[in-house]
Amino acid sequence: MTAVRQRILVIDDEPQIHRFLGPALDAAGYEPLRADSGQEGLRGVALWSPDAVVLDLGLPDMDGKTVLEKARAFYDGPILILSARDREVEKIEALDRGANDYVEKPFGVGELLARLRAALRQSGKSPAPRGPIRAGDVEIDLEMRRVTRAGAFVKLSPREYEVLTRLALGHGKVLTHKDLLTAVWGPAHADDTQYLRVFIGQLRQKLEADPSAPTMLVTEPGVGYRFVGDDP
Amino acid sequence: MAPGVGKTYEMLRAARRRKAEGQDVLIGVVETHGRRETESLLRGMDILPRKPIEHRGRIQMEFDIDAALERAPKILLVDEYAHSNAIGSRHPKRWQDVEELLDAGVDVWTTLNVQHLESLVDVIQRITGVRQRETVPDSALSRADAIELVDITPEELRERMAAGKVYVPETARLASENFFKVENLTALRELALRRAAQTVDDQLVAAMREKGVEGPWAAGERILVLVSGDAMAGSLVRAGRRLSDMMMDAPWIVAHVERTDRPAAGEGGAARLREAYRLAEQLGGATVALTGEDIVGTVMAYARRGNVTQIVIGKSIESRWREILGRSLATALLREARGVAVHVVTEAAHETPPKRAKKLGLGPWQGYAVGALFIGAATLAAWGLDLAFDHADLGMIYLAGVLAAGVLYGLRPALAAATAAFLVYNYLFLAPRYSFQIGSPTDFITLIVFWAVALASGGLAGRVRDQALGSQRRAAAVTTLLAASRTLSAATGRDAVARALAEQVSAAAGGRATVLLPEGEELAPIAGAPSLEPLDAAQMAAARWAWEKGEAAGFGTGTLPQARWTFWPLEGVRARAGVAGIEAGAAPPGSDLERLVLALLEQGAVALERSQLASEAVETETLRRADRFRSALMNSVSHDLRTPLSTVMGASSTLLEYGDKMKKAVREDLLLSIREEAERLSRYVANLLDMTRLEGGALRLRTDWTDVRDVLNAAAERVSRRLGGRVLARDYPPSLTLVQADASLLEQVVVNILENAITYSDPGSRIELAVYEDRANVVISVEDEGRGVPAAELERIFDKFRRLEEPSDRSQGAGLGLAIAKGFVDAMGGRIAAASPIHNGRGTRMLISLPKTIATSHHLL
Repeated sequence: MTAVRQRILVIDDEPQIHRFLGPALDAAGYEPLRADSGQEGLRGVALWSPDAVVLDLGLPDMDGKTVLEKARAFYDGPILILSARDREVEKIEALDRGANDYVEKPFGVGELLARLRAALRQSGKSPAPRGPIRAGDVEIDLEMRRVTRAGAFVKLSPREYEVLTRLALGHGKVLTHKDLLTAVWGPAHADDTQYLRVFIGQLRQKLEADPSAPTMLVTEPGVGYRFVGDDP
Repeated sequence: MAPGVGKTYEMLRAARRRKAEGQDVLIGVVETHGRRETESLLRGMDILPRKPIEHRGRIQMEFDIDAALERAPKILLVDEYAHSNAIGSRHPKRWQDVEELLDAGVDVWTTLNVQHLESLVDVIQRITGVRQRETVPDSALSRADAIELVDITPEELRERMAAGKVYVPETARLASENFFKVENLTALRELALRRAAQTVDDQLVAAMREKGVEGPWAAGERILVLVSGDAMAGSLVRAGRRLSDMMMDAPWIVAHVERTDRPAAGEGGAARLREAYRLAEQLGGATVALTGEDIVGTVMAYARRGNVTQIVIGKSIESRWREILGRSLATALLREARGVAVHVVTEAAHETPPKRAKKLGLGPWQGYAVGALFIGAATLAAWGLDLAFDHADLGMIYLAGVLAAGVLYGLRPALAAATAAFLVYNYLFLAPRYSFQIGSPTDFITLIVFWAVALASGGLAGRVRDQALGSQRRAAAVTTLLAASRTLSAATGRDAVARALAEQVSAAAGGRATVLLPEGEELAPIAGAPSLEPLDAAQMAAARWAWEKGEAAGFGTGTLPQARWTFWPLEGVRARAGVAGIEAGAAPPGSDLERLVLALLEQGAVALERSQLASEAVETETLRRADRFRSALMNSVSHDLRTPLSTVMGASSTLLEYGDKMKKAVREDLLLSIREEAERLSRYVANLLDMTRLEGGALRLRTDWTDVRDVLNAAAERVSRRLGGRVLARDYPPSLTLVQADASLLEQVVVNILENAITYSDPGSRIELAVYEDRANVVISVEDEGRGVPAAELERIFDKFRRLEEPSDRSQGAGLGLAIAKGFVDAMGGRIAAASPIHNGRGTRMLISLPKTIATSHHLL
């Protein structure tokens, strides 16, 4: 266990959520902080500047997206959103406004903690892995711009490589269609999701053990894609 | 008609006959009640084994519908139509089994006592003092193809009972003192006879309409009330209604004949007619305006088409002299009316008829006769003046006669009068006298002058008369149109409008009429008057042409003239609404009648369009409401299922992953939260189910005498763990009247209200649960010290999915609790209301009042 525990602020109005999330975070080696409303949450972010924030979008006093926007004005740590499965628009909006990732309700604690770890790692507050990124038998060497699968060199087009590395650098964070398209193809193609489908398809053909059941390049329906790599 | 008359016995005898004829007859279920004669009829018949149904350890032998369906006999006997099946059967009622069998194509014979008919329950209770619990909806009876009445006299039934053929002796004695009293049985018998007659009547009318047979048919009484604009109109309408009452609500129609050859009723007359029509509609009669020159002919033609059996007319004082002459309407109708009864209602003393000059009616020959009369009078005058005047001056007197005939009766009577006048004048006065010889050329001039005067005056008068007649016809047409537009706008639904239109057109044109409307892609005849008949190929072709091209087709037009009908498109404002057809010759092209018919069709088209728009609006509204309900339900389900599920998943996965690292107290708290949330989920699911039961009408009450205090205690116990520091105070009186209620539903109501109080009040506050009674009600009161309900919300808090402070996710519950409470209380015949704020601008009080029932105990058989 590290000497100083990372502090996680949970903003949720449901006492039942705090009731299990508190002990869970504590047991996982974090220090849980609690806020029961949007106002309280913003104050908490400002006062304690926690290492990460878990924010429920459905709050009684203000819209969760507003909390997110206000917090982003002075806070750049990772923010994880708790959201309902059927609200894709809400999720995308939250990601666009600066959330790092989301977890769908109802969720298992394991999933939440994994996302939290990824977000913390990515924000650089956790020791970032140096060297190649691994996912099963696939290895991405960013310095050499080389991708190998089971040791064998895989030939990728520059665009394919670009898409793959954008996702891989996210370390499990979901990237929205818009993020990916703008980054790789430019803002003019922000809505051309069919490009992505084609390139992701090709990448899966080349890299996934079973392209029809991908484990590395995972689709988040209606939102975007996520790279699932090995834990460093 | 009543237990013991021998229904089952009759049914079995008929079944045996059918079986002897070689038909496949199966006995599904028959109750013999141990009657020996009945049992003996079962011998040798195919009997379906009954199926044991187990409920709470008791086994009942019930009719086996699956076996019956599988066996699919030609005729299936299912006794006791009103029987309630044992709990656990497929359908709660036997008549529902029968419906399923009928739908599967099995012919079913069944038996039914008249007192089990739903619509007669009140009447039966008044007569016998017993409220029937096993009932059959009338609609189920109306599915019967045939009804056979099993009837014996009350005395005979009592004798049979005394002989022990109905019940075992002790039961029989009790029964005959209560239910089986002679007066009860007589009343039941009359009801049964009437109901059977009504069914037969309905079937007859349907058959007749199908075949389009010209009436009258004796079985169904149909009453036609003839009114005119005189003061009797109102009394005639009421007389028609009374007659209809006497004839078991026979349909009745109030009609008025617009005479095309007479001026329309004056201002007062028209007002009285409108009043009479309005009254008729109020009293449940139909109204129609007929048009024709000959009252008797028009009325009788309509009566035959509409199967009228009774005609009601009025006899006012002024028409008495016509009666003496044998020319009254009643006499004329009686001469024409074969198979129709004519009722003459005399005028009450205070109804003074409006004075109106009457002309002696001699038909078309009247003009010639009066002309001859004038010439005769002129001759007499001239004869008297013969000696004093020159004969040329006497001609002037004749000229006056011709002029008078011309002005009064038009061209032809004037020409006839002129010719007659010249002949008489020539014969009597012109030299040579007493011969028709014409002596001098000046006499020719006299003849020519006579004719010229006849031509000029007659022509002029004729035009004036024609104009007058024309305006009368137009007035008649306007009256007809007004009546039609009232009928059309009163009709609701497309088919009803189509029927009204066909009837109005048929009544106005005096021929058969039909209305075709688009059904999907195809044009189909929807309504016809006097009956709906299939159209032949040529007629359908003409109708389709009219529909597609938007122009008249068929008889009298350039398109398909061989069709025996004429079809016009019904042009609405937005689109073509349909097609109307009229029998050839009913409204000749170019006639006033055709113009009237076309105007009617125009109105009809607009009315059809209106009804279509209305039904579309209703459909949209229904969809919109269903949509709103669905989205509310979706929101509720998504939130209220997900929140507890999140906790259950989160807490259980925490335990799985880190449980061994945690302290015992923390582990226990997590387990507790899992249980609490599972309970919350289960409450929510129960609420959803309750709501579904309420919405689906599947709520079954199990009412019993209930002490409300017990119910309140049970409810308080159920919420005790969720109080969260709130104080629940109880205030009960030492004694309380019992009420008829379903204890478990009432408990749920109180639990829902208490939970609501907990949700909307702060921990540490007080919730008071009280009960008291006034003269008529036992009242439950739940008060909290929460923040109260805004006045605007008070009315709506009992709506489904209504929660305060929407769209927050904070409040618990789906917003179903109060809606369910209200639904349950309504079902138990009570009332529920909310008041807020109750003190210091805070707090809510919920009141549930349950009526105290007068304790009654009927001696039931």
